[in-house]
Amino acid sequence: MKNIDFFRYLPGGAKAESASGLKKLVNTLLKEYRVYGTVKRDGFPVYAEIADASELELFSTPTHLSAKQFLFPPRETLLRYDIRRHLHEAVIESERQAIIGLHPCDIHAIALMDEVWAFGRPDVNYLSRREKTLIVGADCMPDEYCFCKSLGTMDVNDGFDIFLHRIKKGFLVRTASKKGEEVIAGLKLREAKPSEVRELKERERLREASFKARLEAAAKDLPEIYAGSNESPVWERIGAICTGCGSCNTVCPTCYCFDIKDEVKANLSEGERVRVWDGCTLEDFAKVAGGHNFRKTRAERLRHRFNRKFRYLTDRFGMPFCVGCGRCSRACLVKINITEVTNELIRESNKRRA
Amino acid sequence: MSLSVNQTKEGLESPYLPIPGVIERVTRVTEKERLFSIAPLNPSLLEYGPGQFYMVGLPGYGEAPISITSGPGEAKEFELCVRAAGNVTNALHRLKKGDFVWLRGPFGTSFPVDEMRSKDVVFIAGGIGVVPMRSLIKAVLKDRQGFGRLTLIYGSKSPEEMLFSEEFDEWRGKGLEVLLTIDKPDTKWTGNVGVVTTLIPKVEVAEGRTIAVVIGPPVMYRFVILSLRDKLIRPEDVFVSLERRMKCGVGKCGHCQINGCYVCQDGPVFRLSDLKDLPEAL
Repeated sequence: MKNIDFFRYLPGGAKAESASGLKKLVNTLLKEYRVYGTVKRDGFPVYAEIADASELELFSTPTHLSAKQFLFPPRETLLRYDIRRHLHEAVIESERQAIIGLHPCDIHAIALMDEVWAFGRPDVNYLSRREKTLIVGADCMPDEYCFCKSLGTMDVNDGFDIFLHRIKKGFLVRTASKKGEEVIAGLKLREAKPSEVRELKERERLREASFKARLEAAAKDLPEIYAGSNESPVWERIGAICTGCGSCNTVCPTCYCFDIKDEVKANLSEGERVRVWDGCTLEDFAKVAGGHNFRKTRAERLRHRFNRKFRYLTDRFGMPFCVGCGRCSRACLVKINITEVTNELIRESNKRRA
Repeated sequence: MSLSVNQTKEGLESPYLPIPGVIERVTRVTEKERLFSIAPLNPSLLEYGPGQFYMVGLPGYGEAPISITSGPGEAKEFELCVRAAGNVTNALHRLKKGDFVWLRGPFGTSFPVDEMRSKDVVFIAGGIGVVPMRSLIKAVLKDRQGFGRLTLIYGSKSPEEMLFSEEFDEWRGKGLEVLLTIDKPDTKWTGNVGVVTTLIPKVEVAEGRTIAVVIGPPVMYRFVILSLRDKLIRPEDVFVSLERRMKCGVGKCGHCQINGCYVCQDGPVFRLSDLKDLPEAL
């Protein structure tokens, strides 16, 4: 958040209680959008559909699954077919939706997804959904896994429509799109007082000083470090403990590999071709019909996933494809930690160069 | 919920919507392979190069990447030679004349026929690798005079599993030397026995003017490439076609990745020298 001074003040706390600003915002959005936001389920922050403003709660730590589920759903229909009628129809489903509570890392992740799905043959399913989506960001405080500061994704200046910064008594609000500005204008909020902006800047300083996890190299050097790490013993070591469960792929906001499957109705004529999430760490991901598996070992599959985050897609799109949210490390059953693994590769690389 | 069917944004079409093709002929090739002649309803699908593939779909079963085996620009139909290996291909084997298949493509890179002109070309195929090789051989034989010495080295497990053997005489007649080898010979087999690399030393190579094309099972490439190096064929003059799992064909789903490249878009045809920074390739 650089050189931004214009904020408006939204009263109330992190829960959308009666008469709070958050409730007003959600109710405004509910008139025009299907609304998804952060709620607490079984003690954990998750995204869920918000039917009533009181369900929403903003959290300072990341949700378990990211917001990618609303733009690239875990299961979506691509085609509908009818075998008897020799018919195939493309299905492009989208509706106006608002997602509330995305932290800066998740907003950066969506900007990366936008690049991916528009690249080459545009993916109309994603793009039409994206166009109808309003994003309401919210600020955060790092836990021991967050390392966005090392990847340049700690702050956002665009990629959202509305952004909410927490201060003691309420929120300071920024907008970055015409759509967002229209929504906020309708709430008739007063401009933030200089003392409130000072409080926000102090909170930002505190946030920046609170990171525990960090990468020991600059983001721009990571592709080269990964390129030189193909033979690192790290892969065999983490491969030996990896269970191949695919959790890291599932929770990652920038993992977008998918499978395509056919489903048939009981009449054996009508059906759908559906796209479902897949994961490159799963055993069969690179296995062909003849039985040959091009990435047989868990070590090879992990190496592939890490390289996609820090090298392969960076070479293609010019940005790291890890946003530092730490979800994969938090979700890993055997505590494979993306920051620690990368730091080990950085240290090995430094040694090679010394 | 607003739901638009078949109605896409201006200028944008769903990359997943297939085009129908009608099966004109089915020929049994071996116990495991069938040859399908297919007439696509949209003639733009006939604009393919040797080495390219279609995503071939059957509603209810899904799609599979299948190499084109006919020569480019030949007819109003194209040919696919399909081995029954998985869900989709087994279902394809049950189809007959008049049935529909659903096609997306053609996808991927082609063999650079023009670069091969006036050079000697050695085609090295193992097993089902002869299927896409046949498309290239036909493209080259169509203008036989434009090329130097042409040799096919083709190895298969047994004589029964050899594909397109009834076409070898025609190919020989057009000026292609055909060298065959078998892993497990039967009592009638009088030819070479052993892997394809046993035949490579028999090929005369004019240094600097020979191009090699290699298509076969994953295990074959390393050994063949070592033999080609012994023959002093430069990596710049070697082309390979690589198989990978594929779901989308448009560089998104991630299954076909070799390190950072997508076989469905950047391949399946690669120049060997371009694979040196892709350790997952071979």
